[in-house]
Amino acid sequence: MARQVERLIAALLLTLGATAASAADADKLKTPQTPWSRLSADEHRILGPLAPEWDRLPGYQQERLRGAARHYPSMQPVQKERFEERVRDWAAMTPEQRRAARETFQGLRKLPPEKQHELRERWLKQHRSPEESSEPRFEGRPPR
Amino acid sequence: MNENEFASKLKPWLERGAAQVGQLQAARLKAARLRAMDAYREPVRLLGLVQLNAGTAQMLHYSILQRALIWVPLIVLIAVLAMRSTAEIDIGELDAQLLTQELPPDAFLDKDFRTWLGKSSG
Repeated sequence: MARQVERLIAALLLTLGATAASAADADKLKTPQTPWSRLSADEHRILGPLAPEWDRLPGYQQERLRGAARHYPSMQPVQKERFEERVRDWAAMTPEQRRAARETFQGLRKLPPEKQHELRERWLKQHRSPEESSEPRFEGRPPR
Repeated sequence: MNENEFASKLKPWLERGAAQVGQLQAARLKAARLRAMDAYREPVRLLGLVQLNAGTAQMLHYSILQRALIWVPLIVLIAVLAMRSTAEIDIGELDAQLLTQELPPDAFLDKDFRTWLGKSSG
């Protein structure tokens, strides 16, 4: 009897935890959108490539892009250039693709620096001449 | 005054005192009483392995509330750690790093790259 009550208490607490976690996902979808006109001048400049489609993006994605843009002032020039080149394609990916890319990136960061460098060099070497490759560079990118 | 009369007079004082005893003191008194009773009981085997005094074996049989009080903080701690581990990741910062490092975002969706990464992580 005592053991059954313990199990019931444990199951109840775990259910509450799972409910809280799913509520967090639901909250993500409820994040309100921020119109382009309400962004700051700096955000307009940094997120400029996204201006045409900004108002169509879901609120949570807008917040994440603004979060990324907050780090722009502290970036090195080459990093700023990369950010400007890539942010539009990044925004055009599906949420699942962005999530998968983040997971892979976090996996890479866990490796020792020399291993990270090795994998980066390997990929860059393989994709240095895309016109010579018979395989597409990336499958599944949504059309612009 | 015989023994029974003395006991009946003492009983209300003891009951009044018992109501004022805190949880910790009550546990200590119980442990002391059980140790005293050990001398009058035969030892028992726990899980057929370890021989314990009967009083000690009874002490291990916590009440439902005491067991819950042991488990609840542990479950809460695990839940908080799990929530913190996801909440503390600043997605904006992560995206900024991903977009500005050497490889394009495409690379992190490339099957070959993910295979190499899996092999390097293993």
